[in-house]
Amino acid sequence: MGFTCQTHSSGYAVVWCVDFKLQAVVRRVHTAAEPVALVDDTQRQSVVLSCNEVAGRLGVERGMKTVQALARCPGLQIERPSLSAEIAASRLLLETALTWVPGIEETEDGMLTLDLSSQREEERSDGARFVRGRLYDAGLEVVTGLGETPSLARVAAFAAREKGESFCHLVPERRLEMLDRLPLAVAGTSAELKERLSLWGVSTLGAFARFSREAVAARLGDEGVELWLRLTGRIQRPLRFAKLEELFELHEDFDDELCEREPLLFVVNRFLDQLIVRVARTGRAAIAVHVLLRFTNGSCEARRLALPEPLLDHEILFHLVSGYLDSLEWKAPVESLRLRFEPSDPVASQRLLFGVGLRNRFQFEDTMKRLRALVGSERVGSPRGLNTHRPGAFELLPLPSEIETVPESAGPPLMGFTLCRLQGHVRTSVRWRSGRPERIESRLVSGVVTQVAGPWHGGGDWWHQGKQWQRREWDIELPGKGVFRLVESEGECFLEGRYD
Amino acid sequence: MTGKDKAAALAAIRDQLGGRIRSGSDLLRVQETQQFQAATGLDGLNQHLGGGLPKGQLTEIISEAGSCGGGGLVMAAMLSRARREQQYVMLFDVGGSFTVESFPPVDLEALLWVGCSSPRESLEALDVASRDENFGLFLLDWRNCTASDWRGLRSSLWYRILGQLRERGTPAVLFAPESVTSVAKRKLEVSIPVTCRGLDEERELLWKKMAFETFRPAVKQGQRVPGISGMGAA
Repeated sequence: MGFTCQTHSSGYAVVWCVDFKLQAVVRRVHTAAEPVALVDDTQRQSVVLSCNEVAGRLGVERGMKTVQALARCPGLQIERPSLSAEIAASRLLLETALTWVPGIEETEDGMLTLDLSSQREEERSDGARFVRGRLYDAGLEVVTGLGETPSLARVAAFAAREKGESFCHLVPERRLEMLDRLPLAVAGTSAELKERLSLWGVSTLGAFARFSREAVAARLGDEGVELWLRLTGRIQRPLRFAKLEELFELHEDFDDELCEREPLLFVVNRFLDQLIVRVARTGRAAIAVHVLLRFTNGSCEARRLALPEPLLDHEILFHLVSGYLDSLEWKAPVESLRLRFEPSDPVASQRLLFGVGLRNRFQFEDTMKRLRALVGSERVGSPRGLNTHRPGAFELLPLPSEIETVPESAGPPLMGFTLCRLQGHVRTSVRWRSGRPERIESRLVSGVVTQVAGPWHGGGDWWHQGKQWQRREWDIELPGKGVFRLVESEGECFLEGRYD
Repeated sequence: MTGKDKAAALAAIRDQLGGRIRSGSDLLRVQETQQFQAATGLDGLNQHLGGGLPKGQLTEIISEAGSCGGGGLVMAAMLSRARREQQYVMLFDVGGSFTVESFPPVDLEALLWVGCSSPRESLEALDVASRDENFGLFLLDWRNCTASDWRGLRSSLWYRILGQLRERGTPAVLFAPESVTSVAKRKLEVSIPVTCRGLDEERELLWKKMAFETFRPAVKQGQRVPGISGMGAA
């Protein structure tokens, strides 16, 4: 007999988009053959901020004046940083990384730190490869580093870049061995520390990590200790997880106020398209849509439109939002619209093996909404008898989404006719004989009682002040008129129902 | 070609094609037979309905309020049957006649109860619900109503609902003390003597004792009955 042992240990990944500002503007993979440089025109003299590999090979360097770069490389494409492009690229990074694990920190521009504790160790390399591939397809090149702590994962990412590779895993058992092959520059040490260490003959991170903590503290102070702690995996910091709400939100301030629904629905349609793509990239679905409308008179309307189960169906989502917008009364033109998806994991629950469920849950929810609006929410539901002896007491529950098969032994056989409750209490005057009803008179039925069953005494709720009840019941038969339930309660007699 | 020749040619074609030619009424009968698929849980009722409730149609169950009832028993049988077939049922209860203790708890698991204040409201609710494909049966309980309650209901509403029922093939059953609408495909009178002794009998036995009869409206001498041909059982 065997079983599989799944190993979920702590671990982190750093996904780093090198030269992020440049990649955000010019998706590198699409211009791999052309020299491109990102320049800063805000200074008196334009300088090169970064350049791609082709430009680098042709002699373009960072910090170089743009004029000089163009002299060295006449075909150089000049680009300027774009905030909107960087936001879009950041969003793309985050969305794609969410397909790997949910816990993500936006450490800095173009760099994400991921908490891999929710993933099995054996699957982490595959996850990194998958994310890298998807980002590459979207036009972003990233390097990925894996390590026991966020700091070590960062070192691994820097090491991958240093070695010209796209992936590096600092395996705990071989960490020192791997650090031996990495120069000090990989850890981002200051020039002063690097110089002091090189004077001592320490040129690799592995050699530094082999020192004792006391020796490092005595000779190199805080900076040295901090680096030593990072390299030995003794600094463990909590991640500041990215807020997904902002990721799945779209907002538009209209230049011209909207007075009609049609253009608003057009914008809603566009927003839904974009949000669906974004959420789909994360492998999730929407469980609710938040709509916020701001009107020119300063008022606003906000609503969370819940879905019965997570989905990403454009038609259903549009129906949901447009239905809400149709139900709104506009007292002023619309100034702005904000739409946000509440993400959720897709349904993972297993359906009943032999059970049957709702064929179309969204249609069902829509029907329920309409019925509640028509008859009142307190008059729609699946009835269940309450745990009380009070006749007719029941509560309304939501209709189950699955119906199980009928159990073999469904209890004792049911006896007699059904009781059809009469509308309101039909007051009745009763002539008694030896404690049994002999004749009744009411607005509904009157006559001599030929057969009587009862009385049955009932009572309860005496432990709730003011809710105590007591009653006596008889089943009475009136020839040619049927069988009725006669009730005496609080000194009053009434017909409760007719057997049918 | 003379008339005799035409008749001879037609007869020859008939002989040639054999049983492959069917008249319109034959085809209609076949279609109707195929539609009778929703069994009611009562053998006697199924026989009267030609196999079961006509799908996508409205059926009226008429039980007078008196010594011979049975509408509630039919409803209980239908609920039980639908539950065994794992179908959702929607009950439009006008006037609050529903009593939870009259039905076994297991039969209520797939029941959606809609409390309505009038026949008109229940029809409007059915108009909404009949567009939903999730339900296998709709029950309208008008047993507490009288003709004055449903007088004035627009026939267009009935026909719209009927169209929606047809589209999804869902049967609907109307329980009333008397005939309500000519839109109903079948109208049946149900009767069983309601006595105190019957309260102690098993429901299975009561179901077997029930009698069903195709509803025939009382016709006064010399009076024409409108829409009688529309009643399927006539």
